[in-house]
Formats: sequence, C-alpha cells, structure tokens
Amino acid sequence: MDLITALVIGTLFSIAIFLLLRRNVIRSAIGLIVLSNAINLFLLSTGAYSGRISPYAGQIGQPSDALPQALILTAIVISMGGFALVMGLITLLTSRYESADMDDLEGLKK
Amino acid sequence: MSLGHLLLLPILIPLAAAGLGLLLRKQVTLQRGLSLAAMLGSLAASGVLLAGLRAGNSPLVWQAGGWPAPAGISLVGDWLGVFMAFMAQLVLTAGMVYALGARDYAVRYPTFFPLYLTMTTGLTGAFLTGDLFNLFVFSELLVISACVLTAISDDRYGAEAAYKYYYISLLASMFLLIAAGGLYASYGTLNLADLAQRIQAVPSKPLAGLSMACLMIFFLVKSAVVPFHFWQPDFHAVSPTAVSAMLSSVVVKLGVYGFLRMRTLLFIPWEEQIGQTLVALGLVGVFFGGLAAIGAAHAKRMLAYSTLAQIGFILVAIGWGTPLALMAALVFTFNHSLIKSAMLMLAGAVASRAPVKSAAFSVIQGVGKSTPIGGVLFFLGMLALAGIPPTNGFINKLLVFRSAVEDGQYPVLVLLIAGSVLTILYSGRAFMRIWWQPAAEEFKPKPGGDRLLAPAVLIALVILLGIWPQALLQTASLAADWLLEPLAYIQAVLGN
Repeated sequence: MDLITALVIGTLFSIAIFLLLRRNVIRSAIGLIVLSNAINLFLLSTGAYSGRISPYAGQIGQPSDALPQALILTAIVISMGGFALVMGLITLLTSRYESADMDDLEGLKK
Repeated sequence: MSLGHLLLLPILIPLAAAGLGLLLRKQVTLQRGLSLAAMLGSLAASGVLLAGLRAGNSPLVWQAGGWPAPAGISLVGDWLGVFMAFMAQLVLTAGMVYALGARDYAVRYPTFFPLYLTMTTGLTGAFLTGDLFNLFVFSELLVISACVLTAISDDRYGAEAAYKYYYISLLASMFLLIAAGGLYASYGTLNLADLAQRIQAVPSKPLAGLSMACLMIFFLVKSAVVPFHFWQPDFHAVSPTAVSAMLSSVVVKLGVYGFLRMRTLLFIPWEEQIGQTLVALGLVGVFFGGLAAIGAAHAKRMLAYSTLAQIGFILVAIGWGTPLALMAALVFTFNHSLIKSAMLMLAGAVASRAPVKSAAFSVIQGVGKSTPIGGVLFFLGMLALAGIPPTNGFINKLLVFRSAVEDGQYPVLVLLIAGSVLTILYSGRAFMRIWWQPAAEEFKPKPGGDRLLAPAVLIALVILLGIWPQALLQTASLAADWLLEPLAYIQAVLGN
C-alpha cells in the first residue's frame, strides 16, 4: 500500500512538473492543478491510513488520523478558489493577446 | 474575558467589515465609511494588545473553541507577532486613507474596499497565528485579495502581473504544504510551539531538513528575496497606488516574520545554517536591488527594486542573530514599512497628476512642480530611505552597523555601507527628475490628484521616530529579548 501511494505521488509530481514547464499558459495551469493533487495525496499519506476505522465514531480499534483529512479538505477548497481565479485571469489574458503562448504575453517586458 | 480574546479583534473586525462591505456595494459612501471605521477599530485593538503585553509581560494566547494547545488552533500574541500586526495595521490604515482620497478607477470598483479588508485580515492573521496550517490559510487569503486588487488596476498590464504573482504564490504555497506534511509526518503536530519543542528534542528526523528548506522557500518568495524576486517589481509597479504601497511595505514583511520565527523558535538546531544563508542572500539582495533600482525607468518600479535592497539589510541582521542585530532587524522592519509606503504613495500621487496615468520617469519628469508639498515629503522620505538624520532611517541603519561592529563582521559592514550609497543615488536621481528637471513642452498637469494626507502623516511619523525613537527602540529590544527565550513562548501556548 505504501509503495503504491509513493509511486502514485511520484508520478503525479513528475507529470505536474512536466506540465508546469510548458509554454502554453493553459497547460501550465493544469500542471498547477495536478501538483496540488499530488500534494494533497502526500498530506493524506502522512497519517490518514494509520488506522482503518473512522475517527470519533466510537468503534473499537485504531482510528484513522483526522487531522490530515481536515488539512486536505481545507487545501482542496482553497485551491479550487485559486484555480477559478487563475482560469479567470487566463481567459482575460488569452482573449486580450489572442494567444496562449507565454512568449506572446509580454506586455510587462516593455 | 481575558486579554487573549482580544487577539481575535484585529482579525475579525476587518473580516466582518469586508462581509458587510460586500452587501453595501451599492451604497458607496456607507461602504467607504465602514471600511475606514473598521481599519481604525482594528488598529485600536492592536494598540490595546501592545499595551496589554507591556503590562502583562507574558505572551497572550487564545485557543480556538477552548481546545487546549496541540489539539486545537491557537492564536499567539507574543511581542514579535503583536509588533508586526500593529505595524501592518498602522500602515494599512494609512493606505486606506490614501485609497479614500485617490482618483484611480480601481478604487471605485465595488469590491475594492472589501478586498482591501480581507488583505488586512490575511496579513494580521498570519502574524498572530500559532499554527503552521493556519498560516497557509491566512497567507492564501492575503495572496488572493492582493491578486484581485492588482488585476483591477488602472494599469492595463494589471491582469498580467496578477497572473504572474498568483502563479508564483500558488507554487510557494505548495512548498508550504509540503513542509507542513513533512513536519506532520515526522513530529505529529502543526502547532508552532509544540513543533519547536519536538524538533529541539529530536532534530534528526529524515524529513525535518527537507521541510525546513521548503518552509524557507515559501518565506523567500513571500518577501521576494533575490533568487525568488522576479515577480515582485512587475507586480508592485502596476497595482493601484494604495495597494502597491502596502504590498511593498508590509506584505513583504511576512517573509521577514517567518525568518524570525524559523530562526528563533522552530528550527533552533539549524540556526547557524539559516543565519549564514540569510546573510548571503541579504547581501546579494542589497546590491542587486540597489543596482536594479538605479537602472529602473519607472518610479514605482524603482521603489519596488529598492524594497529588495532594504529587505536585504533586514535579512543580514536576522542572519547575525545577536540581541542587538535582532533588535536592529525589528526597528528596520518597522521604519522601512513607514518610509516605503509613504514614498510609493508620493510616486503614485505624482503619477495621478501626470497627463498620462503612469509613473514612468519619461512621463512624470517635471510633473512634481505642480505639487511642492509632495516634493518636500518625497525629499524627507528620500533622506529616510538613505539613512540620513533626523529621520528614522538613520536610526535603523546605525543599529545595523553597530551590531556589525559588535559582532566583528567588518567585511560585511563595508559591503553594507557601499550598498547604502546606492540608496542615495537612486532616490536622489528620482527626486531630481520629478521635481527639478523641466517638464516636456506639451505637458499640462491635471488640476488635482490623489490627496496627500496619508503620505504626510507617514512622513510625520518618520520624522517623529527619528527625533524621538525611544519608545520604538524599547519595544524592539523587548521583542528581541523574547525572541531569544523561546521557552516562554512554548510554555505560554502549551500551558507548562
């Protein structure tokens, strides 16, 4: 289980970094989304599987750790808001420059 | 009700007012009045916190929902946190006053003031929280508000700069999340006090060093230290003046706060490595920022580069880490916030009088002649930035140099003095171009511009703190003493 989680996190990280380095702004934004999911999985792996029983439910046995789950929930909500903002900005920029290539978004260089 | 409950006020007042402000987006006057009242209220609350700390002599702690420390989320007001929060509120209030008298179109955007207030909430909360994950939440609030405020700027490249900034900040937040995950996996807690205790007990967990590096990257991006600075001049130069004055003065101080916390609380076993890194990066920043500011062709961009240099001075002082150096860093942080926000407001006020709304030197050359009062204020700010008495800039430069002499760091001292000379070069050149050189012939200044009340108040504080710095020095030295006794912080939060 640990090995599979580790491999999945590693694969997601590498896909994310590959996408982040694309010149197309939309692809690199998708890279950010994949990256945040890789990190959410990493947070999940820090303790959510220490037990298999839901916490605070009064069942007998080793409960799973509630804190990483709370962290991920918060991180997912925040990153959703953030990506909405990124997508909005990208829509604005790509329609203004009529291109999604990073090299064409160069107003600030002048 | 204990004094600890008051820690909530500087965070909750702006947040509540932001919510109300959204509802009042049609009643412009009411929304503006409410926003100003909220800022003044939370400034007063942080003033009360300062007074309470002075009287009580132990850190103020508030545990959310009554859950005791490592399980619940705590807000902690020790001298560092409250000092930074008070500084932020003071400058942000001045920025609000400036925004109320500004002629930008951005200020008339219906959610400008609510976003400004959530930015205040994020910054104050990040200074006062005692929990690593809570720091992430508050810093995201800060980043998103600042990003939208820049995207609605009058400058047509606002959206582009906002995208750049948000992209980099989101990446930096991912680093913070990796750090939080690594520390949680190693030490099983995210409470700063608890973490500090456990890290000191077992510093050699495999993920501890990686987490420290990731946390460091987060704070380096937040205060735009040199290898991570590339978004800062663009972002600070195009945002609306009232906002860019805040970004370049108090928002970058989030990183400074983080380094102080890392060095004196969280990662004490590595304090030497952190210190050396900060001294090296700070020195590079002093020269890179100074030289880039000399080469800048845009007044606001020049001031943004100057922030890189001034943050460099602060980092060097934090890197030394002696009591005097920490005190110097805190005084420098406070004074730089006042000076830089006033200078940026003045540059923006001049730009608002220019025929085309831009702060490029080619546009605002000679425009200053229509506002001689602005010229006097800019001149005083320039003296303060360069560290010439009777301004507060002199006091903090002197403290940094004195701590260098006390520590025997003569080579670094020589470099820092050379770096200070750059300051007077670029700020003096800007003053001459805006106020002395003749304007272009087709130039016709607009009849009015942004109100100068807020920068005048800030510059008055700059002079006052230059002539009578005792209160600030006393507070900073108390804060530095507390920083060197992390046990008091840990005991106050964990209750033994």
